[in-house]
Amino acid sequence: MEQFIYTLQTARDTYSNVLVGILRYGAPILAGLLLLRCLKSLLTFRREPEIWAWLCLDDGKKLPITHWENVIGRSKRSDIVIREPSVARSHGVLTRYDNGAWTVTASDAAKSILVNNKKTRHSLLTPEDVFTVGGVQMRLEPITPQQEKKLAQLRTKGSSFTTSLWNVILLTVFQALCCLAYLMSGQRETAQTVLIGFMGLMVMEWLLLLFYVCIHRTSFEVESIAFFLSTLGMNAVAAVVPGEAIKQLFAMGLGLVVFLIVGWSLRNLERAKKIRYIAGIAGMLFLLVTLIFGTEYYGAKNWLVIGSFSIQPSELSKVCFVFMGASTMQRLMKKRNLILFIVYSVALCGCLALMNDFGTALIFFCAFLMIAYMRSGSIGTVALAITALLFAGVMALRIAPHALQRFDSWRHIWEDPLDGGYQQTRALMCMASGGMFGLGAGRGWMKNLFAADSDVVIATICEEWGLVMVMLLIAAVVGLALFVVRSAAVARSSFYTIGSCTAAGIMIVQVMLNALGTVDVLPLTGVTFPFLSNGGSSMLCAWGLLAFVKAADTRQNASFAVRLQKSGGGSDE
Amino acid sequence: MNRIASRATALIILALLLVAGFGFFLVEYFTQSDNWVVHSGSPHVYNGENIGCGVVVDRDNTLLLDMLEGRTYSNSAPLRQSTVHWIGDRYGAISAPAISHYASELAGFDRLNGVYNYGQTGGVAQLTLSAAMQTAALEAMGAYKGTVAVYNYKTGQLLCAVTTPTYDPDNVPQFSEGDSQYEGLYLNRFTQSAYIPGSIFKIVTLAAALETDPTITQKSYACTGSYRIGNEEITCEDPHWNQSLKDAFRNSCNCAFAQIALQLGGETLQQYVEKFGVTDRVTFDGITTAQGNFQAAGQADLNVAWSSIGQYLDQVNPCAFLKFMGAVANDGRAAAPHLVEEITVGGSRTYNAKTRFDQPILSKETVDILQEYLKYNVTDKYGAENFHGLTVGAKTGTGEVGGDKKPNAMLAGFVEDESLPLAFIVCVEDAGYGRAVCVPIISKVLEAAGQALK
Repeated sequence: MEQFIYTLQTARDTYSNVLVGILRYGAPILAGLLLLRCLKSLLTFRREPEIWAWLCLDDGKKLPITHWENVIGRSKRSDIVIREPSVARSHGVLTRYDNGAWTVTASDAAKSILVNNKKTRHSLLTPEDVFTVGGVQMRLEPITPQQEKKLAQLRTKGSSFTTSLWNVILLTVFQALCCLAYLMSGQRETAQTVLIGFMGLMVMEWLLLLFYVCIHRTSFEVESIAFFLSTLGMNAVAAVVPGEAIKQLFAMGLGLVVFLIVGWSLRNLERAKKIRYIAGIAGMLFLLVTLIFGTEYYGAKNWLVIGSFSIQPSELSKVCFVFMGASTMQRLMKKRNLILFIVYSVALCGCLALMNDFGTALIFFCAFLMIAYMRSGSIGTVALAITALLFAGVMALRIAPHALQRFDSWRHIWEDPLDGGYQQTRALMCMASGGMFGLGAGRGWMKNLFAADSDVVIATICEEWGLVMVMLLIAAVVGLALFVVRSAAVARSSFYTIGSCTAAGIMIVQVMLNALGTVDVLPLTGVTFPFLSNGGSSMLCAWGLLAFVKAADTRQNASFAVRLQKSGGGSDE
Repeated sequence: MNRIASRATALIILALLLVAGFGFFLVEYFTQSDNWVVHSGSPHVYNGENIGCGVVVDRDNTLLLDMLEGRTYSNSAPLRQSTVHWIGDRYGAISAPAISHYASELAGFDRLNGVYNYGQTGGVAQLTLSAAMQTAALEAMGAYKGTVAVYNYKTGQLLCAVTTPTYDPDNVPQFSEGDSQYEGLYLNRFTQSAYIPGSIFKIVTLAAALETDPTITQKSYACTGSYRIGNEEITCEDPHWNQSLKDAFRNSCNCAFAQIALQLGGETLQQYVEKFGVTDRVTFDGITTAQGNFQAAGQADLNVAWSSIGQYLDQVNPCAFLKFMGAVANDGRAAAPHLVEEITVGGSRTYNAKTRFDQPILSKETVDILQEYLKYNVTDKYGAENFHGLTVGAKTGTGEVGGDKKPNAMLAGFVEDESLPLAFIVCVEDAGYGRAVCVPIISKVLEAAGQALK
């Protein structure tokens, strides 16, 4: 390897200019192509209604049941609409389980649901059972195992193995070129770590693809996007702190493990519902431990240092928080109030405020808003929460006016370019210098700037790889969010919809705070860009959140976080 | 589930906010990135106080300064000394406003490619200056302090503009504060000074008189060596007796010009000085020159008389006066001076100077007479043999500065030659008579011009 690196570096002067000249256009084309392939299949897959059972009414009418969780009610927005005055707007919930069983649940004790003439709050339903909802008699007729098998076959397939293979090949070529560019421009001492960093990344994605093949899953778009972002993260590491490439690779590896674990726990809804409580407690504990034993860096006490190892537990709390916020329809209908969840959220935000970590607190707050809205559907709740935040903010500023200082230079960075606006003015100067296609790998100045690989990482990417690449980065995250919104229509449980929307929401908010903070559209808060920013905890969190996104992918054979539907009632584990 | 699914659209709003925020940035990027990239301290354009990219060459592509990798100056010490006030030093003591002004073009910045250029070569800024003329002028100035400048009145190209005292940026001298040898060392006297003009200002007074009353050429003026105004006198060193206007101009007769000034009146004189722009600031290539001064309106007769011969409160900036001489030489229309001719980056031209002409300030008749009189000065007084066969019109001046200092020696003029359309100015501080000090200096510079430009 030594010899290889040496040969590369002596050829540097001759070939590096040529390589940069080619990569300026080649890199965005490759990245754009990859992204286009991924987003096309994520955003255009057909969402056909799936019929899981029929509801046979007294008058002989048969209503199709198209979800696993169905609200029965008079309201137009119910999943099963029964226009009878005796039926409440949201009367009850019909739920299908993994094993094909069905239950009916009344939304509250006052609502009358009779199963075989016995009043019940929650009851298992068999095809023989006659049940009454608000005086309307009906019977549930689940689809036959043959029909279910047919349904599974007809369901839109996830992208084929060939498509995924090509995506990974594209990704690998992109990574190889990035790696080559940094090897030819970088220091000799750090070349080996950079090489290992990129090679490791390639090995990781091929191993994951191989694993998917083994468990009969073929879709790789969401992962491709994550690896694409990680590759540019590795670029930033190679440009700014090449010595940390192996550390970052290790973080990515751990992140992948977190992704698989969270995904596995989401596979079985019953299991996920139980893990939810453990996650809730863990999320709180992470913060409490940090609050007590944490170390303060740059004004925020959000680091836990154990020997030579340091993590930001608040990042892991984010994943736990998403778990905690997700909920099934049945539960949502039974327990309408959010009080417990609000108390939990306030406690988390309180811990973060005590840790002085306002950036993370803001992300939790946005996640809270997302969850609160998803669960209640009430704009009023959201407005109330925002008002409460404003009050808290005003109070906080009265108590600690120095907190305002960090916003002093916001939109005024050019008035104080050597002090308050230093970081952002340099970032903008370098971004402008890079233009649309960048100056080339390793030719940037950003490495001299504080947090060039984390808080202001997009400026580093823009300087060396161009503004087009930054736009692709943002498009990638926006694409994930749009995919989550699209797949919400065919989701099996509101648990997954709320979870995936919150996870994608957190990513969007982080990108917003990070990217727009760097370019002075928003104040700079020191929030990380998912997958892109250098930092282990942030990487773990990003992969953890991605598992929720992956769990929303119900296409046939698409997601390891969704069980394969084999034949009637059965599914693999 | 329908409800939850429709609530997922909240995420679209978040995503739209992100896209809108980034769109807002893109608008800022496309409207302001050219300012960001050349803002002081921009890492790819500046190196400390100075621009850190590109190469500066003279009109014949002689290297003056390579700004990449620190700063490498020309290998000729006289050339370094004679150009340091235009291209700046290493430590920011002397700035280079004309080069900073084109930072964006030098860096080759455009919104598509940023400052990228193949092989990381910087831009090349070609100045209008001639290295040969610069070094000749530096040598001619010797130990004097002052400035000598020559420009092409048809194109506006500044061919030579040397300021002294100067120093070698590669060999910075040790000097203490108050060391008179290095007084005003960092000053570019051509752009940043204003001198008491003395008799070269008579060109302005004469132009004003000709514009007001064309028949003045027929008049004759008596000089007994002094001219009484109230209780005071305007004096000449020797009496010139009875003389025509042309001779009075050649003789630089103070008494005659005092009479002309009083005939015109302070207000008229003031009006013309303002019309000619002699005291205005001149702006080119990001440089703005020092302001001159002229206050005759509403003044007592004696002061008006002194003002008309370049004393009293008169001050002129050499560049502004040179431009006025350009108007005299070029049928009343001055070409505005410029220093940077063109900038190329990697084979493509990012800047190319265009000649700008001001509105005519003198009538054809006035110009003809002024040119005739100025040429007469040379042939009849300063000696045509000093100008190597060139047809030259000029006027010397001696600006009394008072105190224990010798007067400023001044000279302004032009060359009447299709292939060498040059206007020039020489200002030498603490020197003595204009003719004795300045004529030899410009003689050497014009000789170099003849060789360098033909």
